[in-house]
Amino acid sequence: MKPDKRSTIVWLQGLTCNGNSHSFFNYPSIDIFSKSFSILHHPQIKTPFSIEEILASDKDIDFLVIEGALSRSDDILSRFDFSFEELLEKLSKKAKHIICAGSCASYGGIFRLQNEKKIFGALFNAKESGGFWKENSKVVNISGCPMHPRWFVETLLKLHFGDKLSLDEYKRPKEVYSYLVHHGCLRNEYFEWKVDCNDYGLREGCLFYEHGCQGPMTHANCNKILWNTVSSKTRVGSACLGCTEFDFPKKRLYETPKNMSLPATPYGISRRAYYSVTGVIKGFKIDRLEKRLYEEDN
Amino acid sequence: MKKITKELLQRIEGEATLELDWEDDKISYAKIKFLNFRGIEKILENRPFLDALAITPRVCGICNTSHIIAAINAIEDAYMSMGVDIKLSKKAKQIREFALNAEKIQNHIKWLYFSILPEILELNGEDDTNIKAFEGKDWIKAQKICSEILKAMAIFTGQWPHGSFCMIGGVTCDPTRGDIYEAMRYLENVIEFCEKEIFGVSIEEFLSFDSSVQLMGTTGSLQKTVGTMVEHNVSHIGKSYDRFISLGESSSKKRPKKCLVTRVINADISFVSESLKNSFFEEDGYTYSKSAMYKNKYFETGPIARMMIVKNPLIRDFHRKYKDSILTRVVARVSEVAHLLNKSKKILEKIKLSEPSCISPSIPYGSINATGIGRCEAARGSLLHKIEITRGMITSYDIITPTVWNLGNGSKEEPAIAQKALMGIEEICEADLVFKAFDVCAVCTTQ
Repeated sequence: MKPDKRSTIVWLQGLTCNGNSHSFFNYPSIDIFSKSFSILHHPQIKTPFSIEEILASDKDIDFLVIEGALSRSDDILSRFDFSFEELLEKLSKKAKHIICAGSCASYGGIFRLQNEKKIFGALFNAKESGGFWKENSKVVNISGCPMHPRWFVETLLKLHFGDKLSLDEYKRPKEVYSYLVHHGCLRNEYFEWKVDCNDYGLREGCLFYEHGCQGPMTHANCNKILWNTVSSKTRVGSACLGCTEFDFPKKRLYETPKNMSLPATPYGISRRAYYSVTGVIKGFKIDRLEKRLYEEDN
Repeated sequence: MKKITKELLQRIEGEATLELDWEDDKISYAKIKFLNFRGIEKILENRPFLDALAITPRVCGICNTSHIIAAINAIEDAYMSMGVDIKLSKKAKQIREFALNAEKIQNHIKWLYFSILPEILELNGEDDTNIKAFEGKDWIKAQKICSEILKAMAIFTGQWPHGSFCMIGGVTCDPTRGDIYEAMRYLENVIEFCEKEIFGVSIEEFLSFDSSVQLMGTTGSLQKTVGTMVEHNVSHIGKSYDRFISLGESSSKKRPKKCLVTRVINADISFVSESLKNSFFEEDGYTYSKSAMYKNKYFETGPIARMMIVKNPLIRDFHRKYKDSILTRVVARVSEVAHLLNKSKKILEKIKLSEPSCISPSIPYGSINATGIGRCEAARGSLLHKIEITRGMITSYDIITPTVWNLGNGSKEEPAIAQKALMGIEEICEADLVFKAFDVCAVCTTQ
């Protein structure tokens, strides 16, 4: 079904770094996006309407996009002429869908750590349900720090075209968040054979055993669709930080927490299964995987 | 007659406001207020120091790479203060610089096309649909080219925003020659755009300019911006103290420098201080932003400061005619794109991939007890990170961003940089333009 008019978007920011806005600005075809959507207001960009004008209008909006962590306390998050709380309540009632752009709007994210009781996401406070709202059936979370522009645009397109959108337990689109960052990682063979990357700055070796990589337990398709269309953290030898999960950012992001010298198990793999296999594999030394792929000549 | 107007600036809705005092139809004083606070410096405390590499970029979605560079510089400085030898390969230095350059290029282009040009065209009374956000032909072209330079960067940093690619002793990536060719391909597209759309001449020719007359003979969006500002008589507004500072490690100036009008002198970061005056952290405060000073004086930081310090002939010529006005500020920032493209291309041509990406020191993280200072030149100016590490954990972290230098608040007797630039202005729209020319970034100003 092709809707006969463009869907309207109003973008609102709470406690944010603007990173999700800039991630969205990386979408390769914003001109094509604009054939289906019209952005009425964006706080960082000169757009047709002010927030006051949006509030005064009797027209509804199709998408309210929230970027940043939320709070109901004026001393934490405020606007000049009216309270943020009131602003968000009013806008949310006018909106058909509410899209939480990024982990801050989804769970509270990094800025929640300043005040864990008073700063939260729209529907969650980290893992616990109940954030700015206890319940709100309009909310879809696009977690990530930042979110990938394709996660955002493709979710909006589904809703715009009236396609069914299945969500996981954290209200995230299953199409994106059923994958793990581990899927498509170029270091997978090293993970299989338990070969650590002994140092940084090498294209060989796995970052899971010593360097804190959370790829095997982080839900997102980063290594399937790639960032900026070209790369990903693990492809440049840096650990996945688990930024789409409710507990981002954990402490000790660049070290692997160990339990009896063993790392945590990948998502959904039992300890018995994982450690049995690991025990067997550790008994072998695969020479090919200990060597460099090739030596640079120049 | 004295009237007080409180003006809310639309572009930075909800995050910053200017409170303007008027006397005899001129702005007699301006208060710059930022009302949201995130507390990143506190969040960093009691974390292992490497976490700073992941957390500090989240200060700002548009200058996150600068924060990683400042953070790794601070950590490496702490190591060196303990006598640990940190040796970066030339390749690692080049990759860090390339990433930083790419971030500045996209930031300058976004600023020109998303913030400045729409205002300039409005001065002309043009309702130019080409610059309309998310739809206009020119806006889309600029947006695409920003994402193009960020692809070139992401080859080394994994992603933007919020990539992580720096580690103690180097970088984490290990690019192949094919990766370098890909980065070059994206960079060439950006160069082509800038030559055609912004400068109207080749980068090489633009870099040879030493007079404003040469620039006025071109036909790009930079010439259009300058011409419109001159025509509408806004070229002389927005002057401040004519004092500049550049603390960072940019490729052309390794040591911190300052510039008093046109005289360049070495600077010493131990004279940098931060004031909480007028902030909510003190009585009667009205903003969350702090302010930064050098020897208790306000200095302007940013592209104009960098260009004045390297004695760039074109900017020196604009400065002779327009001093540190909004016009010189705009030309300096846009011109810097040409320099950055040129340097970035040279990096890709020269990089030797057989050099190590990272030479990690072998000392365990938990044995680090030290303090370090990291400097970096971000798009908007000098960025400082100060870290204090006790047994591998952060005990204190202090960040001074460029906007804290430019957009802090002083007093009526001694206003800060942007305040001084606003005083004496007669029209609200001019005040708006002068303020925007500093590139107001609320998230950087109040971390």
